[in-house]
Amino acid sequence: MAKARDIPGIEPDATFREAAASAIEVRADEVFSFRDRALDTSDIEGVHDMRVATRRLRAVMEIFAVCFPKEQHRRALKEVKELADALGDRRDPDVMIDGLEAVAKGLGPADRSGIRQLERSLRDEQAEANERLAAMLDRIDRYRLRERLVALAAEARLG
Amino acid sequence: MKARKVKGLDPDGPLVVNMQRVIAVRIDELFGFIPAALDPANVTELHDMRIAAKRLRYLLELSQPLFGQPARKAAKVVKDLQDLLGEIHDCDELMPLVDRHVDGLRRADAASVVAATEPGADDLDPALVKDAPHRSHYRGLELLTVHARARRDLLHGRFVREWGELEERGFRDELEAALHPVEPPPEGE
Repeated sequence: MAKARDIPGIEPDATFREAAASAIEVRADEVFSFRDRALDTSDIEGVHDMRVATRRLRAVMEIFAVCFPKEQHRRALKEVKELADALGDRRDPDVMIDGLEAVAKGLGPADRSGIRQLERSLRDEQAEANERLAAMLDRIDRYRLRERLVALAAEARLG
Repeated sequence: MKARKVKGLDPDGPLVVNMQRVIAVRIDELFGFIPAALDPANVTELHDMRIAAKRLRYLLELSQPLFGQPARKAAKVVKDLQDLLGEIHDCDELMPLVDRHVDGLRRADAASVVAATEPGADDLDPALVKDAPHRSHYRGLELLTVHARARRDLLHGRFVREWGELEERGFRDELEAALHPVEPPPEGE
């Protein structure tokens, strides 16, 4: 899992809004740095890293909510949550399948077959989730979420 | 779970003071799930406590440059708590997922057995069930549910034990004490 980047604006003498602006810039940048790896099904860490980065972005958007223009913030936060959900739907089956495999290993071949079948069904769901994630990433590009997050940071600085 | 609103935040006020306010509310929120989360039957409260732990953890991590080592240590404890509640949540998610999957297999098998009956039959021949397509799948899936239930019981027991240890050592006081700004070094050092 990628370590969170330090936020230069989190300093003892900063105001809440200065920190808000810095935090959203750094965390948004982190999210989009994983964008190209998120759909690569051979790289399970890509989607995980983007999901964790999205959670961190969401956290700072909620913590500093009072520093941003209400409507723009509400809309951007809604999209960040939708992105987090799409990443979760894509990632959760990996975790579940790992758990199933750990149990299956301890069973005899006859008992394993049902678990293997459930794994296949989860893989099918995951493939669908990957398509939904691709559509979501296209949408956030089309509606320029990244640019709107940067604009939120600028608004926070202006006050 | 919707986070509790934090009153009195001032965008133009000092970051430290605002963060202290937010963290104090999130600490209160986390502890508000006790004693409900100590009852293993309270699935929703356990799930919500995990979310509350996650919110507090991100806040503490973010605040490390303000509150220093105590905030770092507190964040680690809260992360461990969040992880444990997450493992319990995974079991709570897995069990209904397996139930739904088994229900789907049962329906498919029943349809297949009905399809194998003689046209116009008045009743079902019991022997047909031995050819149900998914007959070999049920046992492993039952064992999977048994595993998830047993693991959940064990993890919840661990949660109760670890929470008791945290309370005994005064973890809430530790968290609240972590909210003091880092002192600058004295002149000349």
